[in-house]
Amino acid sequence: MNIAVLRPQVPFARGGAEIFTDRLVEELRARGHEADLVSVPFKWYPGARVLTQAFLWRLLDLEEADGRRIDVVVATKFPSYLIRHPDKRVWLLHQFRQAYELDRGELGQFGESSEERTLRRKVQALDRVALGEATRLFATSRNVADRLARSTGLEAEVLPHPPQELDYRCSSYENFVLSVNRLDRAKRIDLLLEAAALDSALEVVIAGDGPDRRRLEELARDRGLDGRTRFAGRVSEEELADLYGRCLAVYYAPVDEDFGMVPYEAFLSEKPVLTTTDAGGPLEVVADRRTGLVVSPDAAELARAMGWLREHRDEAASFGRAGKAIAAEVTWDRAIARLLA
Amino acid sequence: MRIAYFSPMPPERTGVADYSTLLLSALRERLDVTVVRRGRKRAPRGADVSLYHVGNNPDAHAWIVDALRREAGVVVLHDFVLHHLVAGMTVGRRDGHGYLDAMEREHGVVGRLLGHGVLDKRIPPLWESRPEDFPLAGFVLEHATGLIAHSRTVHDLARSAGYDRPIWIVPHPAWPVPTTAPERVAAGPVIGCFGVVNASKRIPELLRAFAGVRERHPEVTLLLVGPTSPGFELDRRLQRLGLADEGLVREGWADEPRLWALMAGADACVNLRHPTMGETSGSAIRSLSLGKPLVVSDVGWFSELPDGVALKVPVDDHEVETLAAALELLVTREDVRVEMGLAAQELARREHDLDRVAELYVAAIEEAAGGEAVGEAVLREVSEAAADVGISAETAEAREIARRLAEVELG
Repeated sequence: MNIAVLRPQVPFARGGAEIFTDRLVEELRARGHEADLVSVPFKWYPGARVLTQAFLWRLLDLEEADGRRIDVVVATKFPSYLIRHPDKRVWLLHQFRQAYELDRGELGQFGESSEERTLRRKVQALDRVALGEATRLFATSRNVADRLARSTGLEAEVLPHPPQELDYRCSSYENFVLSVNRLDRAKRIDLLLEAAALDSALEVVIAGDGPDRRRLEELARDRGLDGRTRFAGRVSEEELADLYGRCLAVYYAPVDEDFGMVPYEAFLSEKPVLTTTDAGGPLEVVADRRTGLVVSPDAAELARAMGWLREHRDEAASFGRAGKAIAAEVTWDRAIARLLA
Repeated sequence: MRIAYFSPMPPERTGVADYSTLLLSALRERLDVTVVRRGRKRAPRGADVSLYHVGNNPDAHAWIVDALRREAGVVVLHDFVLHHLVAGMTVGRRDGHGYLDAMEREHGVVGRLLGHGVLDKRIPPLWESRPEDFPLAGFVLEHATGLIAHSRTVHDLARSAGYDRPIWIVPHPAWPVPTTAPERVAAGPVIGCFGVVNASKRIPELLRAFAGVRERHPEVTLLLVGPTSPGFELDRRLQRLGLADEGLVREGWADEPRLWALMAGADACVNLRHPTMGETSGSAIRSLSLGKPLVVSDVGWFSELPDGVALKVPVDDHEVETLAAALELLVTREDVRVEMGLAAQELARREHDLDRVAELYVAAIEEAAGGEAVGEAVLREVSEAAADVGISAETAEAREIARRLAEVELG
């Protein structure tokens, strides 16, 4: 089967969506399909550019390429699903969240003028039309599917995908909590730092880079965390596997996250996940005192939870192992079989 | 966002006034709404969007359409067939030419000639005899920057009439069910019919069907609530069918608490209609909220009701027999009534929930508010990019781009 995987690209940015789509193409090829990645740059500001840049996808003709029919397209996130194709499958990572649950919040984009309000609604209208055309509609998590149903009335099948391929292992439960994330406000790394400030025995390693890094580094300095907090920046795959393998637990508490591969990566390393009650997608796999700890989004609560794990390493290990059993169920074989059924 | 809200309001006794009272309670929690005083022709200064509620009754809506024709805005179309309204705003104001123009604009020379026939009293007024064949909705639609419809039926009618601006389908909101005790008017099963008693509510057909049911099930009662239209001769019909003395309970206009109590005391409700003006029935919505199984005509909005909540009676040669069978099923099968009633309540809760409806209004209003500016910005950017690479207007490529913009509602 000839399959095009569609990915909007923000130049110079690389995150979960990029890792996922690259891997999807590889996995499709590994199963004998002709698969390729189709990527179009996306810029969502200023003003109506969110619509005109989205519209670029509508002008593409992916029914065939150089005389070869493209049997299936797999769109992944806004606005790639604006594509026209007789077999358009959507594996939805997320909609354009600024037009939905992030609106009027710290991470919102649209102001209160008539034009800005209309822009937001036009994005929603695009979703209704374009996602409504899909021949199959999947969402990476229940959280994403529920948001979609609430905002458009469209029902998606939940289809999680495995995390990136690393040399996952569990070598020890050392004294640090690991955060793996792009450093932006939505990932709420500051909450982890505030918790660390409340527990002088707590060590933190923060892997990842992003626009919020300078602020977070200043916050760590202000709270006197030098020496106990390390900003590791963007790390290699081997270093990441090593950090997962040695940490005590993994912190992952974005605000209302879509899905999040980090809990699966932690689980494959037999590590428990610390998250919060408002984290969204991660709560579908992180169950309190079964595969990790779930606390309210409060630094003191978080500090207590991390202290508890430090004092109860056997339980931490058993949570991690329980998580591994869940993560092992999510395989590319199963996901691709459903995607192409 | 500031909204100028044009609608009949209580104490006017119209369904739209009741509707607006209910809707405003939720809309005001979300938007800055100013209700425009009856008779005013302009929106207050600073309004971002004007919202015009338009129905077929000229007494209630003519002033609103006058204001719409001065300043375009979003129209909430409560009826698609507006012939009576247009006649009231033209013939009723001694503006025969206006009526002829409206007829010609939508129905060509034949329409104009028919209009002459009406004005010369050579043929009966079309707004009484055949309004559904000459809806004259264009009189309003041409000034609507967007349309809020309560049903797919009205959406499709507007599209087939050539309306190409945005249409949002927003269901009729359900009233909160009051705690009034049900009032049972008889010991046996009660079929309730609520609303004006006239031919277009298919009362003659209902009476004939009910008379047949009652011959086989004398314990059944028909409760008829609502004023009788002039000239309908209800009493004569009842006498002829043997329903004058027994089997039927008659009550005229009922205030809101009484209406709810009587409806709550019925075992099933009948809501028939033909011809339909494209309207949604407030009475049917109340029945759904109360969890009453419904019998409806298979027309317009009523056809859109799920089969699980309403038995639909086609308006054809077998209408009376089909209707009798539907009534008989409901009066004899409690299990069916219970199942349909639960489905009705669930539908009211899911589809017609007031907060949901208010959110849909906000979405429509927000999309409409800056719609022109956003639409122009998109078209400007796309056309400039096209022109930069030599694609000029009126070429096949430009038409293809326009087609794709329209597909995703951007052009």
